[in-house]
Amino acid sequence: METILELKKVVKKFGRLTAVNNIDLKITRGEKVVIVGPSGSGKSTLLRTMNFLETIDSGEIHFEGNLCGYVYKDGNPVLDSQKNLCALRSEIGMVFQQFNLFPHMSVLQNVMEGQVTVLGKSKDEAREVALQMLEKVGLSDRATVYPVTLSGGQKQRVAIARALAMKPKMMLFDEPTSALDPELVGEVFDTIRSLADDGMTMVIVTHNMGFAREVADTVIFMESGDFIAKGTPGEFFSAETQHPRIKEFMDKLL
Amino acid sequence: MINSNNKLGKSGAFASLFLLFALLIFPAVSSASVDADALLKQARDALTVGQIDQARSLFKQVPAPGLDGDDGQFVYSRMQLARISYSMKDPGKARDYAEQVVAVYPDNVEAKNFLTSLDRETKPEWQKTLEDCKRFMPNLLKGASMTLLLVFFTMIVSPIGGLFIALGKISRMQPFMAISWFTIWFFRGTPLLLQLFFIYYGLPAIGITLSPLAAALIGLGINYSAYLAEIIRAGIESIDDGQTEAAKALGMTYSQTMRRVIIPQTYKRIIPPIANEFIALIKDTALVSTIAMVELMRAADQMFNAYFNVTVLVMAAVIYLIFTSVFTFIFEKIEYKVGVYERR
Repeated sequence: METILELKKVVKKFGRLTAVNNIDLKITRGEKVVIVGPSGSGKSTLLRTMNFLETIDSGEIHFEGNLCGYVYKDGNPVLDSQKNLCALRSEIGMVFQQFNLFPHMSVLQNVMEGQVTVLGKSKDEAREVALQMLEKVGLSDRATVYPVTLSGGQKQRVAIARALAMKPKMMLFDEPTSALDPELVGEVFDTIRSLADDGMTMVIVTHNMGFAREVADTVIFMESGDFIAKGTPGEFFSAETQHPRIKEFMDKLL
Repeated sequence: MINSNNKLGKSGAFASLFLLFALLIFPAVSSASVDADALLKQARDALTVGQIDQARSLFKQVPAPGLDGDDGQFVYSRMQLARISYSMKDPGKARDYAEQVVAVYPDNVEAKNFLTSLDRETKPEWQKTLEDCKRFMPNLLKGASMTLLLVFFTMIVSPIGGLFIALGKISRMQPFMAISWFTIWFFRGTPLLLQLFFIYYGLPAIGITLSPLAAALIGLGINYSAYLAEIIRAGIESIDDGQTEAAKALGMTYSQTMRRVIIPQTYKRIIPPIANEFIALIKDTALVSTIAMVELMRAADQMFNAYFNVTVLVMAAVIYLIFTSVFTFIFEKIEYKVGVYERR
């Protein structure tokens, strides 16, 4: 399988704390990678390095086979020009824990905005794509309202539609259901699941083990910036092959 | 007129009587001349010792011209009588005396002015005030339009200037930061009055001479830009970082993020404090009167000094209140409109 994104020896430090410790990771096209782990384990930080929202201290990021995002001075990565970064980011969709919808724009405008501003599409074209994407997440009837009137689950689905409208090559989900009431989690997972079924490459950071088991091709357990375990859901969740630390973690969750 | 003619006739008759009397009592005095000078002197003396009635009767004896009277003496005596009557709270009689003078000398300025001010005095208060208003209004409106010009110009220029200063201050580029920091530090840290003096009186020293209007526009423009910059900066920094991240994740550049996502969200938050500044601005424009600009306050002040009439100050206050009320109303409407997305 073709590798879409590859991290090589990626390190990210916050002062003395090492959030991402020398991580190597290959993600193939169409792969669903789920990263789990306790709070502060560095999983969100790792995810954010993948679209350069977090700047790495050393290492390399390859997207579609190209070393990108940074220029190297004396071996140290320095963020690339804004133009290149923006081009890269527009190809990688991201969904945030707090949705981060633009509150001053209607649902439709939220989904159109990136297409018009970044991709330079005409408004009519963008509107058409936006309506398709809203249809896909089941919210075409809410196109004209402002985000303030939506429930958390609806907001997150709009955020997914907004990312999808850019026709990204892969999607990053940063704890997409952590800010939701329990009864709203299902609708968001349903939407993500349907994306997975379409063959979208995805990296999902979540605490929801059930969902990880169901959707993942690869599950990664991360703690203190390191990968403790990595494997298929089968290996990951079966009693015989399970890492003791993961067992402890999962026992706590229950 | 008929009345005044009558009176004139009466006083003429008085004069004749007096002549007869004088001829009888003082046969030595020539029948051709009454000693008007002596009469006036006696009358003045009587006045100085407070014998008003005595003075009045003496003034009255000064004959009308044509009956051996002297022009100046006649006018003087009748005007004195008019003034005495006025001071004795008898404006009707005062008017009669002044009209006697006008009847003989229709062009006599003193008598005419006396009658005009007597007219004013005897009018009802509201009518007087109305006339004051009419008299002051043209100049006040001229001043008010200058005030409006200054306000509108500053309202357009200062948000733009303020935005750039704010963006400079939050940027990571040293020179922009330094310029922004200095502008805010200096123009917020010194009185506007002093800045106007600097620009108008100080700049010529380095070869830049500005018209009062240009100096006023520059002074107000920069000063208000500095104030608005801090409001705008606070507005930008109050927007959740998640908004910037979401915009970045879509691939937006910094300027696209600012223009499309961040700045539109600040409107709702910064419009109330900016409206506050603009209300202050309407009143601060009065300071430019110190650099030879005639705006509303200066126009009012000039007329107040000329007429010593409080009405003009009240009118200026009313005009300022109209301006501030209208702007308050407009800003409330705008605030409602830009915040519409926050209402469920």
